Amino acid sequence: MTLKPLEIYKLLPKKNCKECGDPTCLTFAMKLSGGKAKPEACPYLDENAKTILGASTRPPVRKIRIGVGERAITIGEELVQFRHEKSFFHEPGIFIAVNDTMTAEAIQERVIFVRDGILTRVGTDLRLSGIGIRSLAGSPEPFARAVGAVESVADLPEVLMAGDPAVMEAGLFVCGNYRPLIHAASPSQYREMCRLAKKYGCPLALKADTLDSLAELSGHCTAEGVENLVLDLSSPSLHAMLNASTAVRQHAISRTTPALGYPVCIDTSRGGHADASLITGVTKFGSVLVCDDLPEASRKAVLVLRQNIYTDPQKPIQITPGLYRVGTPGRDAPVLLTVNFSLTFFTLQGYLEASRVPCFMLIVDTEGLSVLTAVASGKLHEALVRDAIAKYGLAGEVSHRTLIIPGYAAPLSGRIEEAIGWKVLVGPRDAADIAEFLEKEWKT
Amino acid sequence: MGLSTLSEWTGRIGELVIGASHAEGGTRSHVVRIGGERDLPYIGTHPSGHKPLVAYELADDPSLWPAAATRYIGDWVHDTADWAAYAEKEYTPDLIRLHLTSTRHRGFSDTSRIGTTIESVLQATRLPLIVEGSDDPAMDSAVYQKIGEAAEGERILLGTAEAGRYRSVAAAAMAYGHSVIAQSPIDINLAKQLNILLRETGLPSDRIAIDPYTGALGYGFEYSYSVMERIRYSALKGDTDLAMPMISSATDSLTVKEVREAQGSEAEKTAVAWELYSMLPATIAGASIVCVRHPLSIAGLKSAIDSLWNGENVEGV
Ligand code: B12
Ligand code: SF4
Repeated sequence: MTLKPLEIYKLLPKKNCKECGDPTCLTFAMKLSGGKAKPEACPYLDENAKTILGASTRPPVRKIRIGVGERAITIGEELVQFRHEKSFFHEPGIFIAVNDTMTAEAIQERVIFVRDGILTRVGTDLRLSGIGIRSLAGSPEPFARAVGAVESVADLPEVLMAGDPAVMEAGLFVCGNYRPLIHAASPSQYREMCRLAKKYGCPLALKADTLDSLAELSGHCTAEGVENLVLDLSSPSLHAMLNASTAVRQHAISRTTPALGYPVCIDTSRGGHADASLITGVTKFGSVLVCDDLPEASRKAVLVLRQNIYTDPQKPIQITPGLYRVGTPGRDAPVLLTVNFSLTFFTLQGYLEASRVPCFMLIVDTEGLSVLTAVASGKLHEALVRDAIAKYGLAGEVSHRTLIIPGYAAPLSGRIEEAIGWKVLVGPRDAADIAEFLEKEWKT
Repeated sequence: MGLSTLSEWTGRIGELVIGASHAEGGTRSHVVRIGGERDLPYIGTHPSGHKPLVAYELADDPSLWPAAATRYIGDWVHDTADWAAYAEKEYTPDLIRLHLTSTRHRGFSDTSRIGTTIESVLQATRLPLIVEGSDDPAMDSAVYQKIGEAAEGERILLGTAEAGRYRSVAAAAMAYGHSVIAQSPIDINLAKQLNILLRETGLPSDRIAIDPYTGALGYGFEYSYSVMERIRYSALKGDTDLAMPMISSATDSLTVKEVREAQGSEAEKTAVAWELYSMLPATIAGASIVCVRHPLSIAGLKSAIDSLWNGENVEGV
């Protein structure tokens, strides 16, 4: 709930003294509202204004970074309960766990899998995010060795999972400078864990039996000076987990309980339902998801689910308009028109590849709308097609003058034909029928 | 403090019954109820309403069914009734959803065959039935009339009504005491409009299930997921035109590129993963019935739903 500029203005001293760096209190209020200034810049705020502004200009779910370098991830900073209200912003990190009873070789094998595995979908590379390292042996040396084995092969974000501060410290000694998530502080040892979090500048996960004790614990930790917190809501019961994560998000977004305004961590190995807890975590507000080894099929499915849920509902994934080739098309190869919604592009491209007919794809800019949506909203029209043909030099690429348009664009066929002066062939509606269509209908 | 979820809903999802027991004039030994919720899915110490259910989908003409589904079942697919009985015994779904794919052939006219198929399936299984008829306005009237009649007294869920063709389905449902699936293309306003149209034919609200259409995971699933959340949200806020339980099917999951291209046993696993990773989220978004085509998807989904519903921790998935 961000305050409007005028609501903020009412809380300011109205001295217009410019000490905040702004010409007037009102312009300062506008900056605050847009998140472009910090309340502390005004030296004359009273206590009441400080509390209100401090709380309302901070994102309701705190932003946290885990790891360093290229693969570092950002979580939190979420603003809504449902993705359709705006969007979910920072997708959850999916961490594959190793433990300190495994051999160094076994650990490295898993780490390399996470480091190198890529699933490319609709033009985007999807990857697992990092490594969880569990202390099972219960003593510092094996833990430090396991962390060392991970570090020896990859610079990935890490979650260090040990309840004993002495064990944790041994792990941090190895990788503490790379901003791992410390997992986890509990009511009995949070002071020591806070000390470690401060010493190494790391985010800290918190664990407690109920949401109330979790809120209390987060209060204690901020009082100790640790503000980058993550709330662990793992539970053998999916019901408990989903209810807790929903409650945390509701209390955070509504700012009812700022002590719960932190990202959520879930260890999916806690019940008998690894896949189901991953699914629940991805859909319902998990930000750090730790799982034991993940079978290939589950890995693909969870990466795609995460991509789906974290796609901005207002801004579909797009590809750059242009002339694309499937195979090595000759001058007599067919040209197919389509839109720059990546789902449309990649679906069509898949079927074209399967048809084994080399061809050109002419991609026009419909701002990421699908064929039918673009036709319905007028974003696909003859001038767009004409300009694209000129811009990408299509006439120089092929010897014929025929353009195949999507079946759903049939109502535009006459107008396109007129505008471009080419023959227009209306293709099938469903891309699955494209091979059959090309075989029967394509003659230059 | 007792921190828990914040619920300030005023609406309630309507209840829908599928199947009729002997006492009610049917032959089902198992009758199911869906809907009734007063909060978001699975939320509350004891969630309100009824637990989401899993339907297993099969087809009277298996040649028009995805290979990934029929391959696993094997020879049972050649007799629809045997297929249903076998699936009930081996995989224990909550419902059977029979697709009359035979009606999809050009020039189909053998409606009496449909009647026989439905009767034999009703004899072979005690589970409540969902039946999907034709999708061609030219034959809808004859087909739905036949389905309605053959299943009279069994209170089946009859699909599918769409904005352009809903009268035959609604008429058959009313004449023979069945309920209707109302499908709209991933659009909350169209879903609402269709419910109103159906009610105007005389079909009561408690005999409508909304199908907001489900895009496959990776192929538009996000739109379906959000439209289900929006429908549920609007209903809980008090919009009674959207307060019907929802049904979602992983229709295209077994033909997506990822499943088609997976090799050997990986194909099986990918098919099951794709169904689980779309249908469990569908229940989380608000679907009361989720439908799958791979038999191995059923157990995993059911045990995950149990754990989401009441925290039972059954080893499974
Ligand atoms: C998701 C969606 C949206 C999303 C947009 C997503 C996007 N990136 O386009 C949002 C919510 C933004 C949206 C908005 C609108 N939408 Co809309 N939307 C849909 C929905 C549900 C799915 C579209 C989709 O993603 N399809 C998947 C892609 C891959 O399909 P495709 O691009 O058509 O590609 C396929 C084929 O065309 C073919 N193909 C593609 N290229 C080529 C090329 C050749 C040569 C060939 C042969 C084949 C081929 O292959 C693909 C696979 O088969 C459809 C309903 C439906 N189920 O179809 C409605 C739908 C398209 N929308 C519709 C409408 C009216 C609109 C709006 C105008 C109004 C509204 N209802 O809000 C706005 C316009 C947007 C704007 N900015 O002005 C209508 C269109 C009606 C009509 N028949 O003209 C539909 C059909 C829903 C309905 N009301 O019935 N929409
Ligand atoms: S420093 Fe404070 S009082 Fe002075 S102009 Fe800025 S907002 Fe106003």
